Amino acid sequence: MTDGEIIKLVLQGDKDKFRMLVEKYQQMVFRTCMGFLHNKDDADDLTQDIFIQAYQSLSRFKSEAAFSTWLYRIAVNASLNKVRKSSKNLILQRIDAFFGTEKSKDLTFSPSDMEDPENILIRQEHIEWIRRTLDSLPENQRTAIVLSKYDDLSQKEIAEIMKTTEGAVEALLQRAKKNLREKLSVRRKNK
Amino acid sequence: MKATVGKNKVLFLTIKITKMNCQLCQKELDAWRDGKLQGDMKIQVESHVKACETCSGIFRLQLLADKVIDREKEIQADPFRITRIMAGIDNLKSSGYEPANPFIRVLKPVLVTVSMAAAIFFGIMLGNLSEPVTDRDAIPVELALIDDASIESVNILLNE
Repeated sequence: MTDGEIIKLVLQGDKDKFRMLVEKYQQMVFRTCMGFLHNKDDADDLTQDIFIQAYQSLSRFKSEAAFSTWLYRIAVNASLNKVRKSSKNLILQRIDAFFGTEKSKDLTFSPSDMEDPENILIRQEHIEWIRRTLDSLPENQRTAIVLSKYDDLSQKEIAEIMKTTEGAVEALLQRAKKNLREKLSVRRKNK
Repeated sequence: MKATVGKNKVLFLTIKITKMNCQLCQKELDAWRDGKLQGDMKIQVESHVKACETCSGIFRLQLLADKVIDREKEIQADPFRITRIMAGIDNLKSSGYEPANPFIRVLKPVLVTVSMAAAIFFGIMLGNLSEPVTDRDAIPVELALIDDASIESVNILLNE
């Protein structure tokens, strides 16, 4: 059954068919959320909100674009909104961190990872810094990078999601990489 | 390199020999990492990264950034969330929400607009039906001349 057929059935009242769409696209939406939030619990919560939002707006979906493209747009917008809200709470988080009450949001490394000599170099400090560097990019560059690196989408697909041209996406990715490289070199010099 | 073609036409061929430095190397790092560099440039970047501590450090940080992204990509979404999502949709249904059919979605505002326009039209029609009072003689002249304020002045009321 195609996405279009499922959507038609959902709109006719068979809401259980929506489960099929959730099962198919959950990991895709979750990965996009992870790219913006870097935290599993937050990404899971946001994925849930995104699917409920998608269900509510399903009647507005036009079959001109693929359902996945439409869902990506919702996911990107919801993630950016969440990030904006989070940045407003940044001061509170810093106070929490200062008093040591903030929960650790870092990735956990299993002992087997630590045994690997290559992974010895991976330290939480570096990881946190790299995440902050990715997050410091302007919103459109960050969106392009997330869709490219996390979702492995082509420039054409990214252009469709961002409603822009392939050339513009290429320029965004180039600028994002340049920004990241500059920040990395500053970091390297400061070390 | 300079080559003469014909009498007046001089064709200049320049062979660009690029001297590798940190700025150029860092610019080409992404392409080198993605395997897009070829020939002389590839060799120069490789040897520069091996020799230069700064560029090799940046390269290592780039690899680390890729690793962080790869690790985040490997994380799987919570499979039990599907049940929660469907429960959330059930809650929407029990609170009266239904995904509107596109036809109903268009029809609803049209109906609201039409009923509002009809209400305004009938209001104006009803207003036009009433006629202004023309029979002014119905009130006697004596009554019209009575000044209520002078009959019951404030002083009388205060004395009471």
